[in-house]
Amino acid sequence: MQTSSSFLTLRRAVVAAVLGAAVALPATAQQRPIEIQMWMGLTGQGGELLTRFGEDFNKTQNEYRVVVSFKGQYPEQRAAAVAAFRAGNPPHIMQMFDAGSGDMMHAKGAVVPVSEVFKRSGMQFNPADFIAPARGYYGLPNGELLSMPFNVSTTVLFYNKDAFRKAGLDPEKPPQTWPQLIDAAKKIRSTNAAACGYTTTWMAWVMLEQFSSRHNIAFGTKGNGRGGVDASLQLANNKLLERQLQTLVDMQKDKSFDYGGRSNDAAAKFISGECAMLTQSSGGLGAIARDAKFAFGTAQMPHWPDVKGAPYATTIGGASLWVFNAPNRSAAEFRGVAQFLSFLASDKVMTEWAKTTGFLPATNSAFKAMQDEGFFAKNPGRDVPILSLISAAKGDNTNGYRFGRWTEIRDVFHEEVEKTLQGRQTPADALRNTERRGNALLRAFERTAG
Amino acid sequence: MQRRVVFPHKLLPWLLLAPQLVVTLVFFYWPGGQALYMSVLQQDPFGANVQFVGLENFRLVFADEGYLQAFWRTLYFSFAVTVLAMVPALVLAVMADRVVRGSVAYTTAMLIPYAIAPAVAGVLWLFMFNPSIGVLAWWLKALGVDWNPTLDGSDAMWLVILASAWKQVAYNFLFFLAGLQSIPKSLLEAAAIDGARPMRRFWTIVFPLLSPTTFFLLVVGLVYAFFDTFGVISAVTQGGPAAATETLVYKVYKDGVHNLDLGGSAAQSVVLMLMVVALTVLQFRFVERRVHYA
Repeated sequence: MQTSSSFLTLRRAVVAAVLGAAVALPATAQQRPIEIQMWMGLTGQGGELLTRFGEDFNKTQNEYRVVVSFKGQYPEQRAAAVAAFRAGNPPHIMQMFDAGSGDMMHAKGAVVPVSEVFKRSGMQFNPADFIAPARGYYGLPNGELLSMPFNVSTTVLFYNKDAFRKAGLDPEKPPQTWPQLIDAAKKIRSTNAAACGYTTTWMAWVMLEQFSSRHNIAFGTKGNGRGGVDASLQLANNKLLERQLQTLVDMQKDKSFDYGGRSNDAAAKFISGECAMLTQSSGGLGAIARDAKFAFGTAQMPHWPDVKGAPYATTIGGASLWVFNAPNRSAAEFRGVAQFLSFLASDKVMTEWAKTTGFLPATNSAFKAMQDEGFFAKNPGRDVPILSLISAAKGDNTNGYRFGRWTEIRDVFHEEVEKTLQGRQTPADALRNTERRGNALLRAFERTAG
Repeated sequence: MQRRVVFPHKLLPWLLLAPQLVVTLVFFYWPGGQALYMSVLQQDPFGANVQFVGLENFRLVFADEGYLQAFWRTLYFSFAVTVLAMVPALVLAVMADRVVRGSVAYTTAMLIPYAIAPAVAGVLWLFMFNPSIGVLAWWLKALGVDWNPTLDGSDAMWLVILASAWKQVAYNFLFFLAGLQSIPKSLLEAAAIDGARPMRRFWTIVFPLLSPTTFFLLVVGLVYAFFDTFGVISAVTQGGPAAATETLVYKVYKDGVHNLDLGGSAAQSVVLMLMVVALTVLQFRFVERRVHYA
């Protein structure tokens, strides 16, 4: 065991040294850097920036060499990491999106909680440094963090100010409620200011998860699955969700809403100017700011004003960083992981990340640093996700959910909603079917969850 | 007395066969065996908790309402792709066979689509038919067609059928052309002298003599539509909307890779394996009898 582990370390070190030499980094015989693999699921601007953070870290020290690589979108990357884990050589760090968290939390033995990684490395780590919603989502009841929040986002409404002006709407007064959004969308259609009024990305994330949080309603038992793996979905007879789906069905008829596909495909419909409003992750800001050829504004996710206490806080999305365990992983490697994670959580990195991409700063101190330098005053609209996530009212059902096989259940919801928008079933059918099919998956998960 | 050729070496035939045998074992029997083994297990993705469940995964597959729908959808898709890839290929091959000057350039141009990877072909079609930016979608809209593959299931289905068939036309074309060129000219000339017009010559001489080629392309085409169209579907629709383009092979991928349901996905692969065996046996038993070999 000892020999094989030191042999592997040696081999890795040799590989690292060769690679290091190839890119003309000085690697002396005494200080062969230990390679730390990180897999990410981001492309475009976010992916480039995260890769650069890895290079920046490498320049600050020469004990470790971080390699950030893209292995496909989150689901493909996760499948690759699972295969690598079973082969005994998973990446050290893996970025996993919100919906995959429930699966990762029950992957006992495969992941090492982030708090534990720092403890083993003898490094300072205070989970309370992270913003409360992220801590609640990725943490344990005792306050320890399972994964490190990195790209934190929430749902916001982007709207096309030029189209608003053309439709005779006030471009400085975005809709705050669903009735207002419906009116604005109808006006945009009747004046032909845009080919479609409103569309949304991430249907399940926005219309099921965020929508429920915004109105403080539960969509599952046991605190939306936070109470244990035996929790179930509870969607049948959920009148508010039924009303929301019916609203979309009705709006689809005159294109005041137009379905734009799964994941973030619909963002293209907003950026091209086809749709005048879009609910999207706040992390989508970078692409919109870069590619949209019109003035746009940001607003909080709309709510139904007749729901008592609404609007409540939206919940978080985005991704966090998980640390993998493996039989041959040395203490030095975990120390390198901890050092890189603390580098990523530093104010300097966090503020640059948040400013460039539109994701929220994941730590309280980075948020404060951005406030202190007047970033939010200078960039109106950039505080919207923070107001929606942190300042809005909290309830029993605004802390997010924790279900296994959630990526699959999201797709079940997508399928059922698509069928409803095609006019093949009612919103009530869609919710009943999602509950039935989703619960079958949850029971299967419960059987194999450790 | 029959003359028999006897090779003295016992080892040599095996040595000559070895490369092919190794490839078959490593790339066919080993994964096939793995699929069989995993289809009787239920496990978490990381393999920490593995249970033997007998045939339960199969029971679950057949109890899944979506699975039977995917089965009929796959049949529809496969036949549409095969027919749409063969008919235009045959027409083009007959045309190309008559071209006297510049036939090499023409034939080469016809072959290019085959060199394009399925996923790339899918993306090309996706762009052309994208409701927001696609040039063909724009024409369709100008003609008054409400083209929307993002939400309309049959629009999405036709999009993946066309993208899958288009790629295969080139392959079929090549085989049909070779088949046409091997038909003896003397037969056609004799028929012409007897007064048979081109259409009649085609149906009574060319088409029957092409039947071995047609049969071969039918088998290959169906297998292609069943299995190799995964890249197109993945790039264009991801099986949506509302599972309208979810074929059996795409479902195996989705359940295995996206959903990490290894047992269920393995069970589906085993069912798929049996289906291919049955399909091939059927084709050779019943369809081949009607084929004329020259």
